[in-house]
Amino acid sequence: MSSESRSRIMAKVRGASRGQGAAAIESELAGMGVAPTAPLPHEDTCIAFMANVLRNHGTLDIAGNRSEAVKLIGQYIYQHFRSHRLVAGNDPHLAAMPWRDGGVLPRFGEVEPGEPVALSYAQWGVAETGATVFLTGKSNPSRNNLLPERHLVLLDVNNLLPDLESLWRQIEPTIEAGSRPRGIQCIAGPSSTADIEAQLVHGAHGPRGWHIILTGGATHEQLQTARAIVACDDTLGGS
Amino acid sequence: MELQSQHFREKAADALADSAAVAQRDKIAQFTPIIRDAAMQEFGSFEALRKHIKRIRQHSLDNLDYYLARFELEATNNGNQVHYADTPDEMNSIVLDICQQHGAHRVAKGKSMVTEETALNDYLQRGGLEVVETDLGEYIIQQAGETPSHIVAPALHKSKQEIRELFLEKHALGERALETTEDLVDEARSVLRETFLKADVGIIGSNALIAENGYSMLVTNEGNGDLCANLPSVLIICTTLDRILPRGEDATAMQRLLARSTTGQAQTSYTSFYSGPRREGELDGPLETHIVLLDNQRTDILASDYKEMLQCIRCGTCLNHCPVFAATGGHSYGWVYSGPMGSILTPLLTSLETSEALPNACTSCGRCGEVCPADIPLPDLLRDLRHEQYQQKMTAPRWRVGLKLHAWLAVRPSLYQFLTAMLTTVLHRLGRKKGSFSQLPFAAGWTSVRDFPAPQSGTFMQQYKARTKADE
Repeated sequence: MSSESRSRIMAKVRGASRGQGAAAIESELAGMGVAPTAPLPHEDTCIAFMANVLRNHGTLDIAGNRSEAVKLIGQYIYQHFRSHRLVAGNDPHLAAMPWRDGGVLPRFGEVEPGEPVALSYAQWGVAETGATVFLTGKSNPSRNNLLPERHLVLLDVNNLLPDLESLWRQIEPTIEAGSRPRGIQCIAGPSSTADIEAQLVHGAHGPRGWHIILTGGATHEQLQTARAIVACDDTLGGS
Repeated sequence: MELQSQHFREKAADALADSAAVAQRDKIAQFTPIIRDAAMQEFGSFEALRKHIKRIRQHSLDNLDYYLARFELEATNNGNQVHYADTPDEMNSIVLDICQQHGAHRVAKGKSMVTEETALNDYLQRGGLEVVETDLGEYIIQQAGETPSHIVAPALHKSKQEIRELFLEKHALGERALETTEDLVDEARSVLRETFLKADVGIIGSNALIAENGYSMLVTNEGNGDLCANLPSVLIICTTLDRILPRGEDATAMQRLLARSTTGQAQTSYTSFYSGPRREGELDGPLETHIVLLDNQRTDILASDYKEMLQCIRCGTCLNHCPVFAATGGHSYGWVYSGPMGSILTPLLTSLETSEALPNACTSCGRCGEVCPADIPLPDLLRDLRHEQYQQKMTAPRWRVGLKLHAWLAVRPSLYQFLTAMLTTVLHRLGRKKGSFSQLPFAAGWTSVRDFPAPQSGTFMQQYKARTKADE
């Protein structure tokens, strides 16, 4: 049934298409140029990223080194859950963290129902939208990004990209090499809904909180500037 | 979903009589354009983005044979099974077969207008499956036994109080207050969490299919679609041929347009790209993935003068800016798609005869065409459908006579000016005292709901001539 339908549909599509060859089609597409991107809220990519994360109702911490990152993670978990436990994916960047420094007790693997907090390693961050990007697979189970009450993200500022086009330029070599990630997840905020009387509520199905720990040289001054940008938005009635 | 578009006039009259619902729709019609305009202005080169996406979408549709074959090849190489369905019934049957092959009992569904179009839920339920909508809005209307009133926000017609009563009636969770919106969201969260964890099959739609790599893009804020895509052991993506775009960057560029037009966001909370099933050694993800591509008249549209309608990105912007939609609400349209895009798609996907009222549910204000992020000439397509109705003699005889008379008069400017000047003068004199008419011959449709204002003075042409003469 489906193969007959395929033939019928393909024939109709062919009949309605221009019938150009692959080279002509690719050349026409290449000639269309690139899409305009959103202006960044600051010329510094890191500040722009942080401002957009805050606009997306995310929260941020700055860690000077890995030990400090673990301590910040420990404080966050304790503050929200009076616990020291978290679940982390099998990403080597997470396995190599000095967990004892923060008194954190990680379990590596996938989140089970009822486990309230997970930590994921973001491959990239996108300044244009304030999104963190995960390649889901062996090291990054997708449910760790979706099931917990609070989603913690470790991101190196050296992996910040200006826009979504740059993201594809990073991913394409992996895809072309034949090792396509099962999923590419861009997460730009906590799970949210406005389906009831258009009132925004966080934690529709997934994390109620989305907290990013930036490593690799971000500064508290940059974070202050990002906060000032968002405060200015609020004053002007913007986003 | 059963077609009820033939009852548009009656449903619209009922909707207008419900003053609370009218007030709620007014509120939505006021704030949705504001958030879209703010996002558009902040972006700056929104018009350039809109033109770029239009060119890409047109290019994709012009070369759909190439891109469809490419997508099928790449998606298959990624480990998906790609199916084609000519008709809604065929899509439903393919999905039910997959579920039955896996001995499935429970299905968790993400929001999908395509499956509303095919009435998939009813079909699967008749096949013995338990189907739960997981988008909060869709879940609410499923519990209420209703249909979506808006393609993006399906339950916006329901008040918090109505939802509270619905949850208290449907959920056997004991005594609780559910006083705030947060309480209601939490309630749905706890019920639906079990659905995600127990579902055998997840069904989602797709915002874009990427030809160069076989990925499928899903855009949500709730994350329910991603839970459906990752937790159950079988994933079925139900979508249509026109979602195909050439490259990943085209999909994210379209997302830029979609998120700003719909919710005013730069990017929604979750934008995911799925390639296929779980690979060896992976801890989660579906073991099997299927992509079902529905035609349902779309290849006919592709070959027709309405081809531009296939550029629609399902953002709901035209609904949010349409005065008829704001006044009558989505349910009046009687099918899956409402507002201007629905008034075009419904006749094209069903029949012009059964949805005859929809292309006429238009004030010709042109707002939908101005705001459409895909730059679809919606007012032109609506007019073309009306023209088709006229040619096929579907238009009522008195309207046909009226239109013929108008066409005859419109090409005789001197006579036209003379007659309109005469009519204006008569109405001006008769209505001078009161300033309006509560009754007028041949205008009962107008005067039954509002007064007709009396002309203040002469026609535009009379005034123009008088001023030109005075200037000389």
